[in-house]
Amino acid sequence: MNFASTQFVPSRRMGICEPLPQIGMWSDYKENNYLDTSTPAILEVDSRFDNQSEDTSHGIVEPSNKYDQEVSKTNDKQLRRLAQNREAARKCRLRKKAYVQQLENSKLRLMQLEQELERARQQGLYVGGGLDTGQLGYSRTTNPGIATFEMAYGHWVEEQNKKTADLRNALCSDITDLELSSFVDDGMNHYFDLFLMKETAAKADVFYLMSGMWETSAEHFLSWIGGFRPSELLKVLEPHLGPLTEKQSLELSNLKQSCQQAEDALSQGLERLHQILSETVADGLLGEGNYLPQINAALEKLKAMVRFVGQADHLRKETLLQISRNLNNRQAAQGLLALGEYFQRLRVLSSFWTSRPRESS
Amino acid sequence: MHEPILYGNLLLQQKPPTLRNPNLNPNPNNVKGIKENASSLYDFSDLKNMVKDNAVIVFGKKGCCMSHVIKRLLQALGVNPAVYEVDEVDENEVVIELEGIRAGDGKQCSMQFPAVFIGGRWFGGLERIIASHITGELTPLLKQAGALWL
Repeated sequence: MNFASTQFVPSRRMGICEPLPQIGMWSDYKENNYLDTSTPAILEVDSRFDNQSEDTSHGIVEPSNKYDQEVSKTNDKQLRRLAQNREAARKCRLRKKAYVQQLENSKLRLMQLEQELERARQQGLYVGGGLDTGQLGYSRTTNPGIATFEMAYGHWVEEQNKKTADLRNALCSDITDLELSSFVDDGMNHYFDLFLMKETAAKADVFYLMSGMWETSAEHFLSWIGGFRPSELLKVLEPHLGPLTEKQSLELSNLKQSCQQAEDALSQGLERLHQILSETVADGLLGEGNYLPQINAALEKLKAMVRFVGQADHLRKETLLQISRNLNNRQAAQGLLALGEYFQRLRVLSSFWTSRPRESS
Repeated sequence: MHEPILYGNLLLQQKPPTLRNPNLNPNPNNVKGIKENASSLYDFSDLKNMVKDNAVIVFGKKGCCMSHVIKRLLQALGVNPAVYEVDEVDENEVVIELEGIRAGDGKQCSMQFPAVFIGGRWFGGLERIIASHITGELTPLLKQAGALWL
């Protein structure tokens, strides 16, 4: 929204009837130069403003002799000039007041729009990682696979919020274990659906997934290879599972360690890929001019990225499956609820962050 | 199972010297993979021995980061896996040879790199390694194969 557009409001009555009024620059309001005192003509008061002139020259004293005529003419001019100045200053103050008022209204309107946008985003009309990423429009317009994913993901988040709310109600109510187990299966499968969606999106553009443009900013900050870090997830879950048997505690502890080891191995593999990619691109760097062989070689290496995201999602899936094997239905349901709320909080956090009032520099 | 440590150290990241000897011992087992006048007339029959003699061996394409991941994971568990890096030109022949080894187990799927053999038998790729590690199946299997002593 560019407020510096110089679409000048034609009417002097600066009416604020449109939602986003086109405000001219302050300089536009000084169009007529009221400070021009070269004309000796009688002061012309602008009849569209309130005619409460502070002009004190009600009458002009008639001089008696020629010398006095000269003096009084000079005095008249001076008086006239002063009156014109006062009038001009008054009008200037009025215009300034109106301009500031218009700015304030626009600022409120802008804040309203930002909040609406954020709300729409959360409710599944998801259109990307946010204006703050500065990459609005990338991929969406050029890659149909990604556009499909973005829409599907928006729906997925909506569904996820619903399922979390349903699960919360189910846990509070008097529900049979069988019913609870179907909630658990449903919840798990929903996460697995997401992994399938991401697999397709990775083939369309793996860097889109890696860049986190589909996630909210807080989620992306905490992410690891295009999604949540499984070991972190286990730490979030643990306190919400209720009392665990000794066997369960031990298995959870083993799972945490196994996760960490697998994550480390994948991270190291990714680092190795960085290294190799850099070497491939830099191969024959010095003044060769023809770099197509290096580009082609690098393209091959980049394909490995798709496999990395796939393996990371595979690890996430296996971790979720394993933890559910060790828990009873109620514990698993509580775990899923905790997870759902955790991600919801991250999304809300991102939304609050985006719409926080900016401090003036 | 022979002493895994000894062979493991010998073969770690090294190609066995018997390979790349053109024309010396055309192995009847390899006939289908070798063209008579091809420049790459290699004898890959030793792969069978490598698989047999190593508790854990990882076959991966040269410069592949996935086999690096497997190697790191196994090392984190205390295993020192043998790693065989396959050159691009040899890929097809190695695949055929390895599938032949695997066929002995009665399974008939196509081989992909990276490929892990544990205790002389085909185990799987990175996905299987990760899955079995998470479920806790991997460690006892490695112990059984003699790759771990804890």
